[in-house]
Amino acid sequence: MSRPLAGIRVLDFGLLTAGANTSAMLADLGADVLKIESGAYLDPFRVVGKIDDDEGWWNRSPQFRFTNRNKRGLALNLKAPEGQRVIRELAAHCDVVVENFRRGVLDRAGLGWEALKAVNPRLVFAAISSQGDTGPERMNVSFGSTLDATSGIAALTGYEGASPRISGMDVNYPDQIVSLFATGLVITAVMEARRTGAGCFLDFSQREVASFTLGEEIVAASADPAHRPGPRGNGEPGIAAQDAWRCRDGRWIAATLDAPDDTIAAFCAARDSADAVAALLARGIAAAPCNDGNDLLRDTALAGVTLVRDEAGALVKGLPYRLDGMGIAIECAAPDLGQHTDAVLRQLLGYGDAELAALETAGVTATTPTVGDI
Amino acid sequence: MNDAALPLQRFTVVEVNAPGVPLCLRLATSLAGKIAADLGAEVLKIEPPGGDPVRRAAPLLPGGSSALFQFLNTSKRSLVLDLATDAGRTALAGLLGRAQACLFEEPAAIASSLRSGPATPIEIAAFPLEMDAAARPVSELAIQALGGLMHMIGTPDARPLKLAGHQASYAAGLTAFTGLAAALAAHDAGRAAPAVRVSLAEVMQWVNWKAASGAAATGTSPGREGDRSEFQVLPCRDGFVAVVYTATQWPATRALIGDPALADPKFATRAGRRQHIAALYDALRPWFAARTRAEIQQEAQGKGVPFGPVFTPAELLETEQYVARGFLAEMTLPDGDRLRLPQLPVQWNGRSFAPRPAPALGEAA
Repeated sequence: MSRPLAGIRVLDFGLLTAGANTSAMLADLGADVLKIESGAYLDPFRVVGKIDDDEGWWNRSPQFRFTNRNKRGLALNLKAPEGQRVIRELAAHCDVVVENFRRGVLDRAGLGWEALKAVNPRLVFAAISSQGDTGPERMNVSFGSTLDATSGIAALTGYEGASPRISGMDVNYPDQIVSLFATGLVITAVMEARRTGAGCFLDFSQREVASFTLGEEIVAASADPAHRPGPRGNGEPGIAAQDAWRCRDGRWIAATLDAPDDTIAAFCAARDSADAVAALLARGIAAAPCNDGNDLLRDTALAGVTLVRDEAGALVKGLPYRLDGMGIAIECAAPDLGQHTDAVLRQLLGYGDAELAALETAGVTATTPTVGDI
Repeated sequence: MNDAALPLQRFTVVEVNAPGVPLCLRLATSLAGKIAADLGAEVLKIEPPGGDPVRRAAPLLPGGSSALFQFLNTSKRSLVLDLATDAGRTALAGLLGRAQACLFEEPAAIASSLRSGPATPIEIAAFPLEMDAAARPVSELAIQALGGLMHMIGTPDARPLKLAGHQASYAAGLTAFTGLAAALAAHDAGRAAPAVRVSLAEVMQWVNWKAASGAAATGTSPGREGDRSEFQVLPCRDGFVAVVYTATQWPATRALIGDPALADPKFATRAGRRQHIAALYDALRPWFAARTRAEIQQEAQGKGVPFGPVFTPAELLETEQYVARGFLAEMTLPDGDRLRLPQLPVQWNGRSFAPRPAPALGEAA
């Protein structure tokens, strides 16, 4: 397995998908990722993905497990001065910070870009927020599909002539793509920091990333007052005919045709979906079943390297690409809350038993949450 | 990095646009190359005689050029080579000899030689290797279907819907850029750079991971819920607003709307709200209908509630936040069309990466 980022260490304040998945992608490329939470503030994925209320529930969320494998986990109280001091010491041993808190949270804890740059001028500090770090809307709150709406994606998504549609909470599309983009930029900045000795502040607006995926629509609207499209169903500009049709077995398939064809609905209705797809493909027509989550689990060829199992056999996120033809091996499962706090503080900062015990007694470190729902 | 320097300017990347490749693959390759070019890499776009078909792809601008091409090919250089000839292939080999990486598509006739060439291969494909399907027809829509995204959008009793735009292509293009950056970083550190292969189907499935995780956890796949969804889009006085809030934001949402009906205990828990979703939306609807998007956004943000006004691409050109951040670069094309186009969605020490106009065909010859 190729490890282009071997030797790079990441201080990961990333939460949910946008931040935590950016760090996960860095881990997959060989970086040593230290995920920082605290007893008072869990990654919300531990809570929204809760599957039971028994002791240790915070360590069993599938969504957390999917996103945080191949990381080590520390719990350090960001609000306690001692916790802040320990994190600043850790920052001196790191190359990258990833965070997607609301703007100002880390600054108030003395852990923002200016403060950490003073500790470590080589740091690449990736701040991922809904609107970016500047501008009149920088403090606006958003959650997942808020950005489908405000980015322009929703305005063009939906049944023809009907209301706009969002991707919804089971997709939260803008959160997914920002991590794909941010990872590449962080790697670029790490190269530059290695070469020049100077880090940088990377300010990502998730809303801008989502709008960027409609770049040609924004360009067209800017030059042509007549370019004012609405929801397009399954059509696309420049495509003669494409849509989804229901087959005899009740399943939907999608196909892109070279020309409009009045007979396609009847053709699909008369066949089971697998037969209809095979027949269309044989005619050189791009066609596919509209898979659901269970279909994705069953079709291991289609899954490629995107789904893998951790050491406990549990399903987790794999890689979106292959390096030298390979996916990834999961070297460690997603950490329990605070699982590696002591080990990392011993390894990197040389702390001993007395210091670790004092931090625990003072409530700076933890392995159990001090809060319920977030 | 000083003001003039760009982070990737010491790298050369060759982007091979072979003829006859499906459009959805070309868009992914082009996006990855564009990001590298805007960041300063010398990106040599090798076009077939007649040019990349995207030069003629919708949407078109008033002057006749393609908005899609302009967006996806900023800051690149264009060279025309006929790779069906020895001369074309020899010229390409010369360019590859001074490039660190090469972007190309799996169905290209020249793909096998690019895989073993001197420049690290970054290959864009439609499907995973296991599907043994280099010749299988592909489209953006088919990838959104196959990766499970369409199953998630729309209403349960009607057609599954695609997400607007070239999302399968662009998610793969972003992924290919990240793979390219990883390869350049390995190269820079004196390590062997990995060959990168990106398939649209794998990226779409990866992006849609919650469908798989949900199905694995409960046995039932998440899917499109239409008017049974917790998050719906409601009409307001001047358009539409996406109703979005987290469980902890429910009390603030209830206070914002102010309808006593929402105090009913049946709405107190998330499970209760899901069970009585039609009644809940009946109570929400009048508040939205009476207000504009701007009023809704202001009142909701004042209470920390993340409702999302629906903006069109045309409206985004005027949006205060984008104007303040300088997100949209101004550009004038040789034919006189004046454009504004989204820059790379990142600011690096406060700096944006201003794109140069897409090249005329063969301008670097």
